[in-house]
Amino acid sequence: MNTAFPFPLAGRPVPFSLGRLGIVAGNTFLEAVRQKLFNFLLLLAVALVASAQLFREFNFGSSELKFISDFGFGAMVFFGSTLTIAATAQLFFSEIENRTALTILAKPIWRTEFIFGKFLGVFAVVGVFCALTTMLLLALLYHRETALMAANPEAFESGRIIHYGDLVLMGVLQWLKFGVLAAITLLIASFSNTNLYTVVMGFFVLVICHLQYLARDAYGHVASLPLRLLVRLLGYMFPNFQVFNLADQIGIGEGISAEVFLRVAGYALIYIAVIGGLAVYSFRNREI
Amino acid sequence: MTDPNPAPAIEITGLTKDFALNLRGIKLRAVENLTLNVPEGQVFGLLGPNGSGKSTTIKIILGLLDPTVGECKVFGVPSGRVDSRLNVGYLPEAPYFYRYLSGEELVRFYGRICGVPKKVLKDRVREVIDWVGLSGASHRRVGTYSKGMLQRIGLAQALVHDPRLIILDEPTAGVDPVGSAEISELILKLKQQGKTVLITSHLLAQIEDICDRVAILDRGKLILEGAVDDLVGLRDRQSLIVDSLPPAELDELRGWLAARGHVLNAVEQPRTRLDQLFLSKVSRPKKEGDSQ
Repeated sequence: MNTAFPFPLAGRPVPFSLGRLGIVAGNTFLEAVRQKLFNFLLLLAVALVASAQLFREFNFGSSELKFISDFGFGAMVFFGSTLTIAATAQLFFSEIENRTALTILAKPIWRTEFIFGKFLGVFAVVGVFCALTTMLLLALLYHRETALMAANPEAFESGRIIHYGDLVLMGVLQWLKFGVLAAITLLIASFSNTNLYTVVMGFFVLVICHLQYLARDAYGHVASLPLRLLVRLLGYMFPNFQVFNLADQIGIGEGISAEVFLRVAGYALIYIAVIGGLAVYSFRNREI
Repeated sequence: MTDPNPAPAIEITGLTKDFALNLRGIKLRAVENLTLNVPEGQVFGLLGPNGSGKSTTIKIILGLLDPTVGECKVFGVPSGRVDSRLNVGYLPEAPYFYRYLSGEELVRFYGRICGVPKKVLKDRVREVIDWVGLSGASHRRVGTYSKGMLQRIGLAQALVHDPRLIILDEPTAGVDPVGSAEISELILKLKQQGKTVLITSHLLAQIEDICDRVAILDRGKLILEGAVDDLVGLRDRQSLIVDSLPPAELDELRGWLAARGHVLNAVEQPRTRLDQLFLSKVSRPKKEGDSQ
């Protein structure tokens, strides 16, 4: 080996590096897309979204296009949540169980870079998932709306009724919601010992996040101050996933203002930053 | 200017590591009051039975664990700091790498993590892969590698950033004698380049051949440390190896020694070592690392 191959590594400080974070994220993304689980869930979600128009006879009274939209986003939420929790837990524990974490953390890398790199890798995977399913849904709706316009021109006198831009925003919001879910799963994984425990807890927290608004509505105004404070505290601890559910407002309706979109996006980003920070803190104390 | 008193490659002082076994406060002491210095430029063997604290000590050196008591420095930098790992390469026991990457992609990945500049990364990756003898298999996925090849690609990733200290945890575990001998040769080459090597192994004959110094741990405590020659050599005895000495002349030699107050303790036929015999008889695989 050529020993006269110096590069100035010795004695230099090692600041936090977005470059290293990106390298970990890129490798995590690569690992995820080469897993069968990702491809399987993506295929299933695509199949379900595509099948939405087969069920249009069962639209339970709502308009056909609205049904297709709701059905498509429902598939995206279900499979996206499953993918987010399973992929985050799997990609984290594959590093621990296969001891590749030992090799990488023995390099000059901060644990913060490692954890946020893992998060970004999963976030990118879920982003691809959301982009593909949203595009498919848009294509489906466009195709069906065009057919309906030809068949019933009087119902579309003022042009198309679907706000396609808003549907894209809805896809972005779902992506951000999955980002919050990935951060929560990563936080659980940072102190958990097994993949299974992480997945089960991840789904448990997912249910809490979807239903916590019910507790706030039911107990938020009770007379007992301690209970009221407890409910409020839980409301802050667990993000309210209902705020991402704007399907009734956007797509086929009055549309959504930029202010509402930015507020919801900001809500997600704040939770991602805080929960991600907690995951880093927990992982820094973990003995590998 | 060169520092006249350079810091040792590894400096461990009063190191104790406890692991909490449960919430009631019961602890397992993995390492107890260990003090150890590994001078730069030496091959140092860290020995001990399973559970003696070798791997825990290595993890503390690498900053993967914090000591409960005491301190550990790598080239004078506390091992908990990220910059202490700039000059350290590590090959874990029974390495498992990202199976979906090729050997070259894997080494490049670790090189980028270590901050090897882009302009030299490509050449450097090829150089270390060539050095460990895996050029012919560098485009194959790591998942298809044999154990010996995994150890060699592991060595390549440990060396990609040209570290001064290389830590090898059981580098020959599960490797056949030919692969084991090749790894020994690579370690000796590293020594010739002035690198410091810390190695753990249960193959004591191999350790004896390649190490300058050894330390033996038992139940977390250091029980012996020193230069290999000092520890295993019998200084008050000598051996003579003579070709075809007839019995009569042997008796004559015995008498000559007795006249001078010496005793001929044993007359034995020298033996070759089994590993040397094995290596001389079996064919070595091609350097490209295509052996399975």
